[in-house]
Amino acid sequence: MAWRNLGRNRVRTALAMLGVVIGVMAIASLGMAGVALEHQATSNLGDLTNEVSVSPGEDIETDGVTDDQVETIRDVAPATTVIPQKTNGTELTARNGESAYVQVTGVTNAAPLYDIAAGDEPTRLETGALISESTAQTLDLEMGDPVEYEGQIYRIRGFIAAESGFGPSGGGELVLPVSALREQEYYDSVTVVTEDGDTATATANTIEEHFNDEDDEILSVTSFASVQENISSFTDTLELALLGIGSISLFVASVAILNVMLMSTIERRGEIGVLRAVGVRRGEVLRMILTEAAFLGGVGGVFGAVGSLAVGLVLFHVITGDAALALAWSSSRYLLYGVVFALVASVLSGIYPAWKAANESPVEALRG
Amino acid sequence: MSVIQLEDVVKRYDSGAETIEALKAVDFRAERGEMVVVTGPSGSGKSTMLNLIGLLDTPTAGTVRLDGRNVTDFDEDERTEERRSQLGFVFQDFHLLPMLTAAENVELPSMWDTDVDRRDRAVDLLGRVGLSDRLTHTPDELSGGQKQRVAIARSLINEPDILLADEPTGNLDQETGGTVLDEIARLKAAENIAVVAITHDEQLVQYADRVVRLVDGVVQ
Repeated sequence: MAWRNLGRNRVRTALAMLGVVIGVMAIASLGMAGVALEHQATSNLGDLTNEVSVSPGEDIETDGVTDDQVETIRDVAPATTVIPQKTNGTELTARNGESAYVQVTGVTNAAPLYDIAAGDEPTRLETGALISESTAQTLDLEMGDPVEYEGQIYRIRGFIAAESGFGPSGGGELVLPVSALREQEYYDSVTVVTEDGDTATATANTIEEHFNDEDDEILSVTSFASVQENISSFTDTLELALLGIGSISLFVASVAILNVMLMSTIERRGEIGVLRAVGVRRGEVLRMILTEAAFLGGVGGVFGAVGSLAVGLVLFHVITGDAALALAWSSSRYLLYGVVFALVASVLSGIYPAWKAANESPVEALRG
Repeated sequence: MSVIQLEDVVKRYDSGAETIEALKAVDFRAERGEMVVVTGPSGSGKSTMLNLIGLLDTPTAGTVRLDGRNVTDFDEDERTEERRSQLGFVFQDFHLLPMLTAAENVELPSMWDTDVDRRDRAVDLLGRVGLSDRLTHTPDELSGGQKQRVAIARSLINEPDILLADEPTGNLDQETGGTVLDEIARLKAAENIAVVAITHDEQLVQYADRVVRLVDGVVQ
């Protein structure tokens, strides 16, 4: 009966339902967009989440991290790989006349830090050099070609793959044995590679506690796990903000439902009077009108969810490249939230018109 | 015992500055199997009286009895239960729900009950008012007389003791009105129910067992 009542003014019902569809689509699609962004941001961080980066702090007395400090890090963080690095910058010039500015990193255990596209993955780099693939292309360098740094020649033994997103290698990079930067006494940074993100966070805390106190920051310690947490917390906030915007649409839709139900009960005042006169109870009138509102919300919600699923598939395809991720619970739950929210909002909007209709005196209502 | 009884009933309406006394100390009764027609000019208090008998409204003073029980001070929910179990209503404008079929309109008062045979009773009642072939028709597919017969069938779905009719022939031509009144008279006898009808229609008066004339809120 509720359904047929809604069918009496199809245009009005359809418009109210459209409002709900838009509201649910706004909530569900924005929620799913947030999940897609978070997924993309954290997948960009990739393996870096198990690394801790240590660099000289504000209150360090030397011009970098000392050998002793590196040893201490090894002691306080056992079962990790501690990789001290010296960095500099230089301009490389090729025989073809091209030149490129590169960051020079002196490191012994290079393998854990770099993705090697071709050539060696040295754990003890004592001779030779690794160079970014892109720089090698610019300078027309091949495996075995010489590279000069500070008057010394190093032969290229590997190419570093181009990395996407964050990483120690932003632009062109030249990796040399640490001895190449012997003029620098101290290390510019130390990377600690741990088993996983949790260990990285714990290790970062241990190093932090060992070297620093409230007043002095000897070493600055950053774990990428905490960066990931920051990103997660940022995307959570973003998701909440997006959901907030979505809820405004649904709020507007529920005002439309309130309006439709109110108009419909005013138009049907006489009929409701007849129902009451023939002995239909107030609770039954209330239930009938709430059911109508719930139908509006429920059917609109389901249509909205179907539309949002389509939007979600497209979003995930565009942002992460994998549309199927939209079906995972972490994102598809927003479809359920949307429908539930639509149902609750529409029933809430139906309460006042239903209450008003049910409590009107039958004599007054019969007068129309 | 009278199935309906009004004793010394007064109904006053406050409309801003002035108070209108629609009924002035009215006494009225109706018995089972009796058709009482209340006539009177417009504004004489007929509708007010029907509303009080139908427990749609409460009197300012006096007593309303149903089957001897004092129902004057019943609250809205109690009055609804009495209407549901004891009273049937027929209105001048039929008041059928346009989106429901004839059979569904007849079922309407008991639609919220978990009563499995209400459809059978509706079909039976429509058969009794000669509309067996119109069960699935909606009101806009029915003539005025047919609509009023559906309304009569609806008023009987709860097997009431009292049928209240507000100008039941008001929107019908003479001949159709006659058919409807024949129907009401037949059902009154068959079901042994009291019928109280208010009307201007002289034709209806011919079917009455008793006529009560109301002028300015006073029974003449």
